[in-house]
Amino acid sequence: MLGEPKQFNNITVYSSMNTSLSQQDTISLIFSLGVLLIVARLVVEFFRKFKMPLVVGELVAGICLGPSLLGHYFPNISTIVLNQHSNSMIAFNGITAISVIMLLFVAGMEVDLSIIRQQGKTALKTSFLGLIIPLAIGFLVAYYFYPLFGEYFTSSSKLILFSLFFGTALAVSALPIIARTLMDLGLFRSKVGMIIIVAAMFDDIVGWLLFSVILGMLKISSHSHGFIFTLGLTILYSVAMLTVGRIIINKSLPWAQKNFSWPGGFLSISLGLAFLGAAFTEFIGIHAIFGAFIVGIAFGDSVHLTEKTREIVNQFVTNIFAPLFFVSIGFKVDFFANFDLQITLLVLVLAIATKLIGAGLGAFWGGLTKQESIAVGFGMNARGAMGIILAILALQAELINEKLFVAIVIMAVITSIMAGPALQLLIKRQIDKEQDDLDKEQDDMFV
Amino acid sequence: MSGVKKELVFKKIGIAIAFSPRLEALIAEAAKMQVGLKSEFIFIHVGNKSEEDVKTINEYLEKYNLLNNSKLIWQEGETVETILNICDEEQLDLLVAGALEKESLIKYIMGSVARKLSRKIKCSMLMLTEPKIESSPLKSIVVEGSNNPKTENTIAVAIEIAKAFKVKNVDVIQETDLNKAVLIRSDEFKENEVAKHKENLIEEEDKRLNYILSCNDCGDIKINIDRIEGKPGYIISKYAREHHADLLILNSPDRKLNLIDRVFPTDIEFALADLPCNLLLVNIKED
Repeated sequence: MLGEPKQFNNITVYSSMNTSLSQQDTISLIFSLGVLLIVARLVVEFFRKFKMPLVVGELVAGICLGPSLLGHYFPNISTIVLNQHSNSMIAFNGITAISVIMLLFVAGMEVDLSIIRQQGKTALKTSFLGLIIPLAIGFLVAYYFYPLFGEYFTSSSKLILFSLFFGTALAVSALPIIARTLMDLGLFRSKVGMIIIVAAMFDDIVGWLLFSVILGMLKISSHSHGFIFTLGLTILYSVAMLTVGRIIINKSLPWAQKNFSWPGGFLSISLGLAFLGAAFTEFIGIHAIFGAFIVGIAFGDSVHLTEKTREIVNQFVTNIFAPLFFVSIGFKVDFFANFDLQITLLVLVLAIATKLIGAGLGAFWGGLTKQESIAVGFGMNARGAMGIILAILALQAELINEKLFVAIVIMAVITSIMAGPALQLLIKRQIDKEQDDLDKEQDDMFV
Repeated sequence: MSGVKKELVFKKIGIAIAFSPRLEALIAEAAKMQVGLKSEFIFIHVGNKSEEDVKTINEYLEKYNLLNNSKLIWQEGETVETILNICDEEQLDLLVAGALEKESLIKYIMGSVARKLSRKIKCSMLMLTEPKIESSPLKSIVVEGSNNPKTENTIAVAIEIAKAFKVKNVDVIQETDLNKAVLIRSDEFKENEVAKHKENLIEEEDKRLNYILSCNDCGDIKINIDRIEGKPGYIISKYAREHHADLLILNSPDRKLNLIDRVFPTDIEFALADLPCNLLLVNIKED
């Protein structure tokens, strides 16, 4: 980087500026990374005993270490943990930016296009209404009642973007948490379980597409292109990546697996492409996360991707970068100071109601019983990590204020926790009975 | 799970023929099938009828002793739709057609006759990749053992074919559902929890397959159950190719397949894109 120019005779000389962190900043950064990782892991393991999702533990760790608790009562210690006013924060923010890109890459890998296509109309109807109804109701409530969220807008375009965002935040589902809940309850292979999984996958794809468009529109300085242009670009990129890109990846993976070391070769190539995809979408005005998400889908769809390779990528990202990202959320705001009961309750009620109604109606329309439909609604209700990522990105883009951010994070956590008990109550007994009957029939055949 | 349908041997078989270099080979294969399955045969040709063509077919049918115990239907029209209509009208149990192992990309996307038929047909379909006049007997059959209501009948058909043609080995392939396995290994679990969940899934699958096999009289046939990891449809094709199977038997698709399924392949589309060997898609009609 060039510093201030100086003239010597007719020659302009530029002094060079220092572009590296000072020793103090370097120590601060590395120390922060170490402490945050270890504390996050300890808290996660503690919460795991209560069957809480990982993201809850990571979030709580950040809240405890950040301005909400430690920063409030022992600010000097909190500053040692993460000094938000030093140059090291630039590097740390870079790491968290990369973390969220990798998180979305892994989320994309979990999406299975073939399973979405294979499942019948029930799953599609569930996912369609499970998306449209929360999106529509969220949009309308945010548009007409935005003061209830503590928001105020001077421009109508900003209001529309805010309303779209809020609808999207209500529409997404947290696939890993849903999968874990279903697995724990032994409902994974049940009809209800498969419908929930597929519908959640589909809602995620559309939710992220929409959110990327929203973030992309925030960046557009002139509004002459607007929503349609951004949406068009997003769809074009998706189609190109999921057709041509997917074929290229599918053809080159066997070659890479044969000629490169494993798993290092795959890790480098896949994450490298994820970053390139992210850079590309950021360049064309859509958020970087979407580029990584679509690259993830393309990779995940490859027939040559083994479970072992998938697992390594997932473990690498989820246990190193994800905790850093989620813990850092706790440092963004003072959760207690920005907690607003009215806003939180409003967001929570809207989130639960719209998902229950949307997904439940969709499942009922698809032919499930009333009880099964309600179970599907609760199953898809978990917002988890996806809801939190949406919220933090919206906060960083100044689309929402801190109070609404805190409310959405709390909503994401509560909806994730309640999915398991609800499913247990509504559907598990019935499915267990059906399975017992089936087992008895099979056992009788063997006798 | 309902009881397995007995007497699944294909009683009425249609053979789609064209005046290509493989015509005689196709008829020769039909003759071998006649010996094993003792079915009624209907030869179907869509196109202009000329005296010379009729004479050619009759000569071949006579050569392979099929002239008196088979029917010949000759119609004009769009090939695929005409054959499908005939299958419906004649209530065929199985349609046999020749198919190239692999087609060009454009041909694959547009669809050849055999592949178009396989995607739309309501009865079972057998695609012969290399019909031969003098072919060697069937030695190995690979059949899917997926968790699908159709699998019961598909495995039963595989066993009956194995008995009819004296095949010694039948490999039942359980494709580990990668997606479920992928979600199992989620970071939310401890290592022993992952192992436990996987064990439960495997136990369920084993129980299901053992139940299906117990309902069939396998005789001297050696049934080998293999569990392999990978994308359903693709991995069984790969297995059949690597193990030089003579016949791959899959469930028919649960829904009509279209162009999107060729762009985003699932299940049988992997097999159709690059046939590893002769392919039988089983679709048993409900009574």
